[in-house]
Amino acid sequence: MSIELNTNDGQITITTDVIATIAGGTAVECYGIVGMASKSQIKDGIAEMLRKENYSRGIVVRQEKDKLHIDMYIIVSYGTKISEVANNVQSQVKYTLSQSLGLSIDSVNIFIQGVRVAKD
Amino acid sequence: MAIEKIDGTMLSQMVLSGAHHLSNNAKKIDALNVFPVPDGDTGTNMNLSITSGANEVKKQETNHASDIANAFAKGLLMGARGNSGVILSQIFRGFAKGMETKETLSVKDLAKAFDGGVATAYKAVMKPVEGTILTVAKDSGEKAMDIADQYTDIIEFMEEVLKEAKASLKRTPDLLPVLKEVGVVDSGGQGLVTIYEGFLASLKGEELPEDDASNVNMDEMVNAEHHKVTQDFMDTSEIIYGYCTEFMVKFEDDKLKQNPFNEDDFRNELSELGDSLLVVSDDEIVKVHVHSETPGTCMNLGQRYGSLINMKIENMREQHTAIVGDKKKEKPKEKIEFAIVTVAMGSGLKTLFESLGVAVVIEGGQTMNPSTQDINEAINQTNAKNVIVLPNNKNILMAAEQAAEIADVNVRVVPTKTIPQGISAVLSFHPEVDIDENKAVMEEASLQVKTGQITYAVRDTKIDGLTIEKGSFMGLNEGKIVNTNKDQLESAKSLIEKLVTEEDELLTILYGEDVDEAEVEKLTAFIEDTYDLEVEIHDGKQPIYSYIFSVE
Repeated sequence: MSIELNTNDGQITITTDVIATIAGGTAVECYGIVGMASKSQIKDGIAEMLRKENYSRGIVVRQEKDKLHIDMYIIVSYGTKISEVANNVQSQVKYTLSQSLGLSIDSVNIFIQGVRVAKD
Repeated sequence: MAIEKIDGTMLSQMVLSGAHHLSNNAKKIDALNVFPVPDGDTGTNMNLSITSGANEVKKQETNHASDIANAFAKGLLMGARGNSGVILSQIFRGFAKGMETKETLSVKDLAKAFDGGVATAYKAVMKPVEGTILTVAKDSGEKAMDIADQYTDIIEFMEEVLKEAKASLKRTPDLLPVLKEVGVVDSGGQGLVTIYEGFLASLKGEELPEDDASNVNMDEMVNAEHHKVTQDFMDTSEIIYGYCTEFMVKFEDDKLKQNPFNEDDFRNELSELGDSLLVVSDDEIVKVHVHSETPGTCMNLGQRYGSLINMKIENMREQHTAIVGDKKKEKPKEKIEFAIVTVAMGSGLKTLFESLGVAVVIEGGQTMNPSTQDINEAINQTNAKNVIVLPNNKNILMAAEQAAEIADVNVRVVPTKTIPQGISAVLSFHPEVDIDENKAVMEEASLQVKTGQITYAVRDTKIDGLTIEKGSFMGLNEGKIVNTNKDQLESAKSLIEKLVTEEDELLTILYGEDVDEAEVEKLTAFIEDTYDLEVEIHDGKQPIYSYIFSVE
């Protein structure tokens, strides 16, 4: 699946994988996120941390009509203000995608799949 | 006077002083904010977060240091706003943890608290970005641990910690490229330094000035403001306020008597005249930066308070045009090892080549052949030590050879005559081997592919024993006309029959700008029914050739 942008010089096609990879890369640099979780973990309720190469498993890019939506499944650090962390991820992902791909994202939906307590 | 121990009361005064100082400087910190998102809210967010922390501290009626620290951490956590606020809450959560349950704190205890703050702050992030508030906390925390044995006086100790925090802040642009690019220090880091300044002032029993113009460098604020503005303009015509106006007013007493200066009022007046407004003042001068259509009016307003010094007005529309035009002419980058330059017509083919890793695709072809100079420019544009040129057309071969001769870098021409040959050559490129070996391999690959083209006749003619009427279609096999037909699809089918043999496995269709997709589907169906071939389809958008077929 891919997103197509028409410019004066022709068409630019961006696969959703690219979008997911950039969104994931941005998310893991966001403060307060300690991991990406697999979206399919909802079934058994164990949030499994994803390794770098499959971040996109924790990210769903949906195109509805001409609007783009991204769902992200993340694991946050215990002791942070989670609502605020989620909010920061939303704005950072939106900004990065608009900067790097010129895409305007209509919604970034955050699913907190787990909270990790750091060992002291 | 020296302080060897601080208790809860002193710690809460430090916190309140830090919060107060930050809130006085929030606007300036906002102005610096370019990372991670240049939305100019770092100062505001940190201020809201620390105010929530300070309010929690005010509620405490204890003289117990760790209780105060815990209250501060709790207030910060509840009120955390934005990235910087969340990080701040983590730093002070660790700070509280680091001092354990101590009632009073010595230098060593404080050092442990700073160190604990860094540890906790770093635990809550997978990939810490250095050159941010985290770095400033870390460097000053390490310094605190390093020197804890050498000091007993908390004031002297805190002075050293603050000195290191400031030094670390100065280093942030070396760690985070975007900061260097814009010419600012990190806004969150600046916020933390500001809080530490408040801590120290409280220990020394000093009052910090309400508005400390020296605290944040005006130039940096201006740089950040420009960065945020350029984010918004894609096009020069979108600039509403065209003049970047900077000036300073040196206050004069007799003028001030007539027009008492109030920074907020002055700022509000100027905000009617433009945007990207920065106003910073101390007792002697006020500095102004504004983007306005009426720079003169802005200056006149300033003159009411004194004399104008250091004026600078720039036309941003001119600059923006230059910047947009200059994007290709950025400062020389590190030369890359290899690049491929090719020639193609049609945006689809251009995109296709680029997606295969071609550095520059010159738009040209049958009727608009690029000159030697065009090719030479493309070679220079690649910024590579070794360049391979694929002309994809026998009429461009000469120009390419000449361009290779006059180029300053190592250039080889692989004599591809068609687009399919060019694609085939690109696919067989190996960055690991040298340019001559590449040339040989690519040439070999380009000869393995068969090319068919469909085009139309612009006049009646007789070629190769075929009578061709104007407007009818012709099929070309390796450049030689093999059929002609009034119907494009029929012409294409008959050409494919000529092209394809038993051994072939893949047929690529590059369809042109005048072809509708329904016809492509019919043709594809015909191929799949008739032959045992993989079919790849690309929208080449090329003119003149309605179809280009590649068979291998």
